[in-house]
Amino acid sequence: MLTLERVSKHFGGLTAVREVSLEVRAGDLLGIIGPNGAGKTTLFNVIAGYYRPDGGRVLLDGRDVAGQPPHAICRLGLTRTFQIVKPFGNLSVGDNVMIGALNRLRSVRAARVEAERVIETCGLTAQAGAPAKTLPVGLRKRLEVARALATRPRLLLLDEVMAGLNPAELAGIIELIRRLHADGLTLIVIEHIMAAMMRLAQRIVVLHHGETIAEGTPAEITRDRRVVDAYLGEEFVLAQA
Amino acid sequence: MAAALRGRAGALAFFAVAAAVPLAVRDQFFLDTLILILLWGALSAAWNVAGGYAGQVSLGHSAFFGIGAYSAALLSARYGQSPWIGMLIGMVLSVGAGLIIGYLSNRLRGPYFALSTIAFSQVLLIVASRWRGFTAGSEGIPVPFRPGFATLGLGHVAWAYLALALAALFYGIQVYLERSRVGYQLAGVREDEDAAEALGIPSRRLKVIAVTASAALTSVCGTLWAQYVGFVDPFYVFSVDLSIRFALNAIIGGLGTALGPWLGSILITALETYLRATFSGMKTGFAGIYLVIYGVALILVVRFVPEGLAGVAARLRARWTRAHA
Repeated sequence: MLTLERVSKHFGGLTAVREVSLEVRAGDLLGIIGPNGAGKTTLFNVIAGYYRPDGGRVLLDGRDVAGQPPHAICRLGLTRTFQIVKPFGNLSVGDNVMIGALNRLRSVRAARVEAERVIETCGLTAQAGAPAKTLPVGLRKRLEVARALATRPRLLLLDEVMAGLNPAELAGIIELIRRLHADGLTLIVIEHIMAAMMRLAQRIVVLHHGETIAEGTPAEITRDRRVVDAYLGEEFVLAQA
Repeated sequence: MAAALRGRAGALAFFAVAAAVPLAVRDQFFLDTLILILLWGALSAAWNVAGGYAGQVSLGHSAFFGIGAYSAALLSARYGQSPWIGMLIGMVLSVGAGLIIGYLSNRLRGPYFALSTIAFSQVLLIVASRWRGFTAGSEGIPVPFRPGFATLGLGHVAWAYLALALAALFYGIQVYLERSRVGYQLAGVREDEDAAEALGIPSRRLKVIAVTASAALTSVCGTLWAQYVGFVDPFYVFSVDLSIRFALNAIIGGLGTALGPWLGSILITALETYLRATFSGMKTGFAGIYLVIYGVALILVVRFVPEGLAGVAARLRARWTRAHA
């Protein structure tokens, strides 16, 4: 579904992403991990059309979409969320999600119905009428997911939707992601919370200094020497054992 | 139907009163004030389409006003054509100018966009005031009065109803922007452009469309104003004061609300009329008093009721509903 071929992105002299290649097939749930500044979010920005890559190709269903604007890529079925959530603060939660639903629907009425359904899926029904800016951070993350889901993506990119959540909220959003995946959605998930990633992802890509240093199943990743050195640390491996 | 009207009671009352006044009142001063309230409100509504609903705050909308005013005035003064044709030509020219300004709004954000719109209106001012052979330069153009609807030579009552029809039309356009697909998408762009893009909204195209539509509507008002007042002075129609006035009425009334432009217009137009009547006898010194009033009004609104008069009305209504629930 999505193929990256040696994608690079530089900012001045800094190389944020260096020749990253990866393959996502329909039905995959791919995790991307790595320390802060590893280039994870930059990679999302390249895939979703916010940055034009300086090298390489981004193929969506075999078609090179590098350089296309974000809205066009969304229409092709790829939607992303933002690590720093970007709710439409002065609009209600319902309107936020409804605007997402307008991506596939011409009529506002139909989009409202769709939004109600998505809001229920994401457990935001009680807040549907509230202005988005009044939501606590945990629910804002949910809103971010709900709004993206309402665009009816085939491939959903989640950028740290679990960061800053309490254990109950965390369990809830993991459950939500699992359910979406079980229903056939393809996902790429950036996350720092390794325990969650181990439970969710089928495959994990590890970025470090903008490069892929490892790729494999969660079990393989935790045994990889370079990943342990660069990111996980000895303690994690010991805790896992 | 009832649901559609809920929350629109204020607008309904306003338009009903505006429609009734010309039936009861024949006093020219009163009718003149009503016509100006409706026209200035319509201008702010036109500005609101870009500034309020799309978040593209322009301080150079007098450019489009002047284009509309000059198009019709020149066409009827020089070529004896109907101002309605001038209105159409003004709209076409304003659409062209709006596309340019709209494109700028994609490159420049916030104050830089506002500054570039001011510059644009000032360039037109220079052209209009220097191109003596065609525009008569700084002398301005008197608009010939030829009685009849086709030539817009109308009496006060007819003008009042024409202004009312225009106001109702512009009100309807704003309501459309509140409830339609494109309106919601614009709201998304206004709130957060990156997030809107992520949801499949072509933010740049929508901004250009909003600014262009706003320009065309402003131009229509410019034409009507010139025909009503009967004289086009480049230093007035392309002035920054005027651009600020369009924005001010909308901000005081309530940014991005459908009735707000007229609420702001009632306050500012009435104040201005009162001041003109009160201070006209006095010598200089008070000539610029309206600028002070603009400033004070703006500070008070932004400090105490940033959601504008329409927002205050909504708050009072909510309180009343709670108290009587």
